Amino acid sequence: MNVIVNELVTQYSLTGDGKLIVLLHGWGDNARGLANLNAQLSKNYRVVALDLPGFGGTQSPPGVWDLDDYADFVHDFMTKLGLDQTFALIGHSNGGAIAIRGCALSLLKPAKLILLAASGIRTSHSPRRLFLVIVAKVGRIATVWLPGRYRQALRARLYGAVGSDLLVVEPLQATFKKIVRHDVQADAAGLALPTLLIYAENDQAVPVEAGRRYHELIKSSLFEIVKDAGHFVHLDQPAQVQQLIEEFLAT
Amino acid sequence: MKTIAVIFGGRSAEHDVSIVTALASIIKPLELTKKYRVEAVYIAKNGAWYWDDRLKDIALFASGKIRQLVDKTSPASIQFDGGLTLIKSGSGLTGRKQQLKIDIVFPAMHGTYGEDGALMGLLDMAGVAYVGCGVSAAAIAMDKVLAKQLASANNIPVSNFLAFSKTELTDQLSTAVKAITNGLEFPLFVKPSHLGSSIGISRVSNELELRNGLEVAVHYDSSVIVEEAVGNLIEVTLPIMGNDQPIPALLEQPMTLPDDFFDFQTKYMQGGKKGKGKASAKGAQGYSKIPADLPKDVYAQAEAVGIQVYKALGCSGISRVDMLIDSVTKQVFFNEVNPLPGGLYAHNWAQAGISGVNLVQQLIGYAEERHAARQALTTTFSTNYLQQF
Repeated sequence: MNVIVNELVTQYSLTGDGKLIVLLHGWGDNARGLANLNAQLSKNYRVVALDLPGFGGTQSPPGVWDLDDYADFVHDFMTKLGLDQTFALIGHSNGGAIAIRGCALSLLKPAKLILLAASGIRTSHSPRRLFLVIVAKVGRIATVWLPGRYRQALRARLYGAVGSDLLVVEPLQATFKKIVRHDVQADAAGLALPTLLIYAENDQAVPVEAGRRYHELIKSSLFEIVKDAGHFVHLDQPAQVQQLIEEFLAT
Repeated sequence: MKTIAVIFGGRSAEHDVSIVTALASIIKPLELTKKYRVEAVYIAKNGAWYWDDRLKDIALFASGKIRQLVDKTSPASIQFDGGLTLIKSGSGLTGRKQQLKIDIVFPAMHGTYGEDGALMGLLDMAGVAYVGCGVSAAAIAMDKVLAKQLASANNIPVSNFLAFSKTELTDQLSTAVKAITNGLEFPLFVKPSHLGSSIGISRVSNELELRNGLEVAVHYDSSVIVEEAVGNLIEVTLPIMGNDQPIPALLEQPMTLPDDFFDFQTKYMQGGKKGKGKASAKGAQGYSKIPADLPKDVYAQAEAVGIQVYKALGCSGISRVDMLIDSVTKQVFFNEVNPLPGGLYAHNWAQAGISGVNLVQQLIGYAEERHAARQALTTTFSTNYLQQF
């Protein structure tokens, strides 16, 4: 289904009956990336999953957006559909960062929060971040002599090879840069709601350390590490993630 | 050897679907016949036309290399010279201008500026034979309001509906909502009048959803139709071909969930993964039952409604008629017509005994037949009108 939110055509699904669960997908993904989880949860809950602006079937943001804009948008989307009293908010990766920011700003007010490999901890001194910055700078210099279209294609391949999401959605480059500069640790520290943190043992994009850090910051949090899984932990170990979530929601 | 130009792509939300229809269901079987010279004419999303043999390769589009080809190649042009001639400037240092007279055009366009009669108008002006519906049938078929009004006028059953202009919905929304809630019963479908592929369609069950659905529909279109959902729904679709004596393929039943309907993603992007029919076929709409699992009398009734609609709209060449059946009351309602079914619905024709190669050849035959009939009509004659001046 579609709805117009702040003049953007927004694609979403709303299924099942019961207490309301909101699903937020990660960068470069869309609501369908959480389809398995959605299908399972909607057996017992009312589940709303939207494509965030710039992804899936939702129009791109009109300008350069930051986490606050995305959190605002989710709030406005819920208002437009007349959805209130969110029981649980589930965010994967960047969707998790949006969820934390949205809760901190009181734009989103779930009773429970579930973060799947949530990003939002931007330690500028981490070796990985340093590495990506170097790759970006070297890449820009090394390709400056090429005509525009070749330069863009080569840079996309280079960034893809080192696992950077910068060019995953090319038109949102500036938005991506803004978002990955936004650290939400202070926001997380202020959260008082029951929170489940699920991180994957082999996650290269958002390592387990991020989950551990959130666990320290969020007082009422549970921290689970899923083995044999990567960043898309809910796809790699669906049954286990499902079970963890259902137990957490039931308590 | 006759030269056929297959025109695809276009300024439409269904641009990408059109590419698959053209390459897989039209160009490939046409070339297999070895009877025609087949030319690929691609209309980019910005409306520029390209004529190049490399455009016959699906890998060019799948890999995204089409963007480079479009960047490096000069667009082609067409010349109206009592027929239609394709022209392009040559490539390389010694490249010479190339031109080629087209005998028959095979439009493979879905949606706006192609399936809606716009391209057909251009081809009529050129006076060239082309496959599929003419201007008026295509234009009516792609306008859900007109198609339903025309069907109603021909006593073909349609579900209750109301139509609104964008102005009515933006300036007097409350009046429109009142008219809808008084005149129709929820659940309702709100649809932009002109778009295909479920884009902008909402199924609404209350006033809030209705208002949201109307807002979405006017975002896409200047005219909106609101119609009652058919209860105990079985959806069927019937591909039909021919000119004066239409031939039906098999009634096909897309396997949808009871409360669901195809959205763009499910219909085209995912390849469809819903349900498991016994005799299932994977078409543009995913898995479906062919023939539809219906009592004999209902099957016959739906087939008759399909043919009736095809004739009432003045379709020619090929079309696909979608119908909605209430499985309890056994009523068949006309829903909409698709003047160029995705992939020509070759999977359905194949089960009806007509191979992809035979299908395109028959369609070329109908195009020539209709063109000859039109040529035989008197449109110009000598007068002494000018001598009076």
